[in-house]
Formats: sequence, structure tokens, C-alpha cells
Amino acid sequence: MITGWSEEHDQLREVVRRFLLEKSNPERVRELADGGAAGDPAVWRQMAEQLGLQGLAVPEQYGGTGMGPVELGVVMEELGRALYVGPYFSTVALAAQALTACADTTAQAAFLPRIADGSLTATVAVSDTDLGFDTTDVATTAERGGGAEWTVSGTKRYVVDGGTAGLILVAARIGDEVGLFAVDADQSGVRATPVETLDITRAVASVEFTDAAATRIDTGDADAIARAGDLATAAFAAEQIGGASAALDMTVEYAKIRVQFERPIGSFQAIKHRCADLLVQIESGRSAAFYAAALLADGDPEGAIATSAAAAWCATAYAKSSRENVQFHGGIGYTWECDAHLYLRRATVSTIVLGAPTAHRVRIADLMEV
Amino acid sequence: MAQQTTSVDHDAETDDEFRARIRRWFAENAPGRRPRDPNERKAWVRAFHASMYDARMTGPSWPVEYGGMGLSFARQVIYQEEAARARVPSPLGTGLGIVAPTIIKYGTPEQRERWLGPMLRQDLIWCQGYSEPGAGSDLPALRTTARREGDMYIVNGQKVWTTHGSDADVFFTLVRTGTQESRQKGITYLIIDADSPGITVRPLRDITGAAHFAEVFFDDVEVPVDNRIGEENEGWPLVRTSLGHERAAGAMNQATNYRRILDELIDLVRERGLGSDLIIRDRIADFEIRVRLMKYNASRVINDIIVRGEPGAASSVSRLFITMFEQELHEFAVEMLGADGIVTRGSDLAVQKGRWLMGFIATRASTIGAGTSEIQRNTIAEQVLGLPRDPAMPAR
Repeated sequence: MITGWSEEHDQLREVVRRFLLEKSNPERVRELADGGAAGDPAVWRQMAEQLGLQGLAVPEQYGGTGMGPVELGVVMEELGRALYVGPYFSTVALAAQALTACADTTAQAAFLPRIADGSLTATVAVSDTDLGFDTTDVATTAERGGGAEWTVSGTKRYVVDGGTAGLILVAARIGDEVGLFAVDADQSGVRATPVETLDITRAVASVEFTDAAATRIDTGDADAIARAGDLATAAFAAEQIGGASAALDMTVEYAKIRVQFERPIGSFQAIKHRCADLLVQIESGRSAAFYAAALLADGDPEGAIATSAAAAWCATAYAKSSRENVQFHGGIGYTWECDAHLYLRRATVSTIVLGAPTAHRVRIADLMEV
Repeated sequence: MAQQTTSVDHDAETDDEFRARIRRWFAENAPGRRPRDPNERKAWVRAFHASMYDARMTGPSWPVEYGGMGLSFARQVIYQEEAARARVPSPLGTGLGIVAPTIIKYGTPEQRERWLGPMLRQDLIWCQGYSEPGAGSDLPALRTTARREGDMYIVNGQKVWTTHGSDADVFFTLVRTGTQESRQKGITYLIIDADSPGITVRPLRDITGAAHFAEVFFDDVEVPVDNRIGEENEGWPLVRTSLGHERAAGAMNQATNYRRILDELIDLVRERGLGSDLIIRDRIADFEIRVRLMKYNASRVINDIIVRGEPGAASSVSRLFITMFEQELHEFAVEMLGADGIVTRGSDLAVQKGRWLMGFIATRASTIGAGTSEIQRNTIAEQVLGLPRDPAMPAR
């Protein structure tokens, strides 16, 4: 049995929630969504300088606070709840964790301090055609030479924050092997084109690399990319449960005040029971996301299955919760003015980010050797 | 009864030492093989619980003054884990986690003295007499009456769904002392000896074909006023007294239990070569996720109790989560087995003695007993989410 959700976590949650209430309220989310979902640079700086959020999962020797996946999960849950718009997931959950999962102290020293102090944004692109960590889906190639140590060529079709990240960690093929490369996005060999997805609150770009100068990252053991994927996935599950929880809260608040047939609609069992079922799903998802993070933090071999369990469960819970939220708001829920569609958009796209629930169940069945 | 108390300095002992001590005791005093004959089994359970009580090795959550171990919550969890490992038989009777705290909280010193030790020692087997034919989920509609005559109540009426009612020495019941219209304001908590004249217990054959329940009829049964817990007409608030912490530890036991059952089902999938069927793999993976989440939920509740002293939101949802899981798991198993799945345990063709089919039938009760799932959902919606009460339902 793992114990670990402590009062310090409650305090961290409270600080982040208060901050986001001010900086990521629905009006602000809509403004940022209209601006291409790149995020607010002033808020980004405050997150780094006042709250130290970018350095949360970064070791102290690289300017971070040296906490880990569990604390990151707490932050991600709050970001998901607030529909925060900005490159936190890509920079911290994807890139910073990928760097710490690798064995390359030179790369860590080069990038992590700048991530922690908020001066560098980053992202990770492993699969060519998907948003996951599937290394069999890598046709992008890396070659030696060309003025730089390495060059990378190919196209990553869906990269989260691929249009704004300063650093892109790219998986590329060297013969039969797949390696991870650090690519400075600010060069002529890198061309990003925004991809419009259903989710207007999260930026995705298609990124084309043409002999882009790159530095190879020493990943250490062969499992490093998979481990980086698990760390990102556990954090993302927490983000999804935060969103699911917010959508349910919205439903419940509305069901308390909306009167039909001379009573609040929340007094009807047809509504109550579905809300109760959502709570069952969401609270179980919250347990799952926390345990996945805790097991990964401990380096427990159960971490991989627990992560896929959390991923499959939390994505489903969020999708369901966001859809019910639209339904329970009735005609109002179908309007642009109601925030329900923002959660529906985020949830639906999130379902396939880092692997669809079906893919995670396949992985679980494989790991269980069913 | 003689009590052989071992003096242990609990504060000086570490968790690991405590675990080792408990484990050693269970190993040295193992309950032995479970007899097949129902009467022998009953005696075997009672004897083991008596030996645990006499050695001060039972009642982990109970205060020491009432014969328990008075352990901290973290130690209770360790105790439960070791008890599960040693396969300690569950106590006979039902609702001990409900009646014991009620007596501890509302009973007189004489009542505590008279009932708590014998309850823990299994000298007396207790059963819950709440439900009636017309009062299940709507418990305040109950009609069994108790009329006061001097130092006695005269009880008339009928209880039903009394689990293991045929084994009981004592019933803890709710009876009507006020008018029918007074609903929960006219209910009294009464403890009734099963051998009182005027009581008829009739086993009730259930959907599984066996008799796990009984109907209990009261015909001018005399019950001493001393057997009343709390005041007359004020029994209703006592209904909700229970050991919440014990439930949390119980949820962990269920998670462990279903881990084993799912592993057995996965073995069956492999044996039958069904593991290559993508739909079956997907369903199994989903059950795998849920059996883990059951454990994570239970761990989280336990963590919350240890850190914050309160079980938190996860505890209110874990029962619905488990009941949905256990029903769907058995439904899937029966379907997966095809024709072999519908063969009952008496037949030679039955797979694993028909256990999956029996589980399918038996778990129909999971979403009915101890409050239907619909009532559970109402409770979660109102008490956790704060949704408004259904005007058709009585106030809580």
C-alpha cells in the first residue's frame, strides 16, 4: 500500500487553484483560445518566478524544486480544471520529464535550468503520425554531419505546442535504432504549421524537419523513451481528471439552480443518478492518476500498468463527464457562450493524446500476458 | 470468562514488529481446516473467535475496555491484512460493525457489559432486524410494533431479509413505538433474544436456491425495557452509527479478494485459448483496470483517514464501484463460457463447480442489499454533490 497524499499536497493544490482562478478564468481562456492558444507570457513568467511550477519536477541541481510525478499530478489536475491555456503540459510533463528520464547530464544541464526558470519552452515529438510515444511509428531519420553533429529530417504530424516551443525533442531513426534528438526550433530547417483540432484551447502543429541541426541525447537504457511516455501519461491523466471534475461541478451547479416543472432539475433522479455515476468514475480516476504517479515516482515495476489503467480510465471519465455537462445544460449547453463546449473540446482531443483508451487496454492485456 | 491478557507495550513496538507479532500469533494459532458440515463449521468459527478474544487478538478497532485491541487506524489495516493472509473466518451473524458502535455510543454501562464482550467472542450471534416486507429502502415505513406494558415491550410484526437469521441468538431491531404517521420519529431501537417465546424464524429460500435469509415473526413477544438502546421513539438516528473505518479496511479486503478472482478468470481465458480474441482481451483489460482502481480507492481512503482523520470522497463511491464491478465480472464470465457457463453446480459438466454462474446469481444481491444502488446514488448526489432533495422523498 502506498500512502502519500499529504497536507503539503493540499497546500500546493490550494496555491495553484487560487492562482488559476485569477489568471485562467473562462474569459481569459476564451481570449487565449482566440489567439491561437499560445498562452500568456506574463502568466508563464509568474508561474515560474512566483510559484516555481515549471521547475517542480526538475532536480534541484538544475534549478528545480526536485519534487516529482505526484506533485506534478496535483498541478496538472488544477491546470485541467481551469482549462489553462499555455505550454505547461508540453514543456514540463513532456519535455522536462523526458530529459530527467534520460541519462544525458549534458543535455539536462543545458536545458533543464532554462525550463525551470521559465525562459525556455519545449515539447516532445516521438510518433510521426500520432501524439504518442510509439517508437514503431517513426520514419523520421537522423544522420551524422552536415555542419552540425547530427541532422534530422522528416515530419511529425501532430506536435503539442509544436509552433511555439523553443526546443523540440524529436525521435528519429538511425538505421534500426530510434534515438532522441534535441532540436532548436529557431532554425531554418524547422517549419511548423498549425493544425486546427477540435480543441481550441490547446495548440497543435505539424512540424517538418529538413536537415535540421540536432544534438543526440544519451537516453541511457532502451526503456528511457517508454519511461518518459509513462511519466507524461500519468501527468496527463491527472489533467484529464481535473477537467472531468470541473465539468461535473458545472453540471451540479447548474442542476441546483435550473428550475423545470417547479423544482430544480437536480432533484430529479434521472439527473442525480447520472451525476452520482460520474462521481464514482471521477473519484476512482483521481485515485488511479495519483497511484500511477506514486508508483512511477518509486520506480515500481507496477508503474507501467498503473499508468495505462489511469490513462484509459481518466480519458473515458473526462469524455463522459464533458458530454453529460452539455446534455444537462440543455439548449444552453449547445451554445458557444456556455463553457460546456470548451470542456467537451478539450476532453475529446485529450482522449487520443498519448494513446486512446483502447490502445492502453491493449497494452494492459499485453503486459498481463492475457 | 477467563481473559488471558498478554501485556504488550504498543507504543514501543514498530509497525513491522506489530505485523510480525500478529503474523506469528496467527501462524501458531491457525484456525485449521474449514469443516464442510454447516453445524461443525459454525462451531469451528465460534471456537476460533473465542480463542482470539481470550488472547486479546480480536476487535482491532474496538476500545480496549470493551475487549478490543484499541489499535490506531494504520495498525488496524495491518491487522486486517494479516487476518486475510491467515484466512481467519469472518464472524457469524451480520451487522456487527453497526450494532457494536451503536451500543458503545448509546448503550448504558450495563448494556455494554452484557453484550459487547459476548458479541466479540461470538458467544452470541447477532443479526440485523431492520427490513420488513413493506419497508426496505423506505425504512421509516416499518410496521412492527412495540407496546409498552410495565417493564416490558410487547412486540408484534414481521421482519424479512434477515441474513443468517436462523443462526441468530440476538436480533437488533427497529420497532414502531409511535404512530405509523410519525415515521422515523416514532421508531425505537430494541434488542430481542431469539429464543423469546412468540418468535418464529422461517428460512427464506433465495434466488440462489439456498436459504441465506429468514423471515422472523413476532407474536406478542415480551422484551424487557432494559433491552432498549437510547430513548423510546428516538431510535432512528442510531441506525446510521457504524464503524466507517472498518468499512475502509473491508474495501481493501474486497480488492484483494477480487484480485485473486480476476486472476483465476484470466487463467480460464488462457486455458480456453480465448486470449487471442480481441474483444475478450479488451474486456479483461477493463476488469484489470477496475480491480486495480478498487485497490487504489481503498488505499486512498485509508491514506485520507491516516492523514486527515476523515475518509473523504473516495469512500462514498467505493461501494457502488465494487458492486458494479462484481456484477459485470460474473456476467462476462458466464457469457464467455458460452454453453458451459449456464450449467449449474450439480452437473458434471459444470465449469469449476459452477462458481461463475453462482457468482452471477449471488451478485444480484450486491445492488440491492444494505440499500439499493438507487438509494446509494441518491445519497451520493445529495450528501456529496449537494444536489437538492427529491420532494417525493422524506427528509433524512
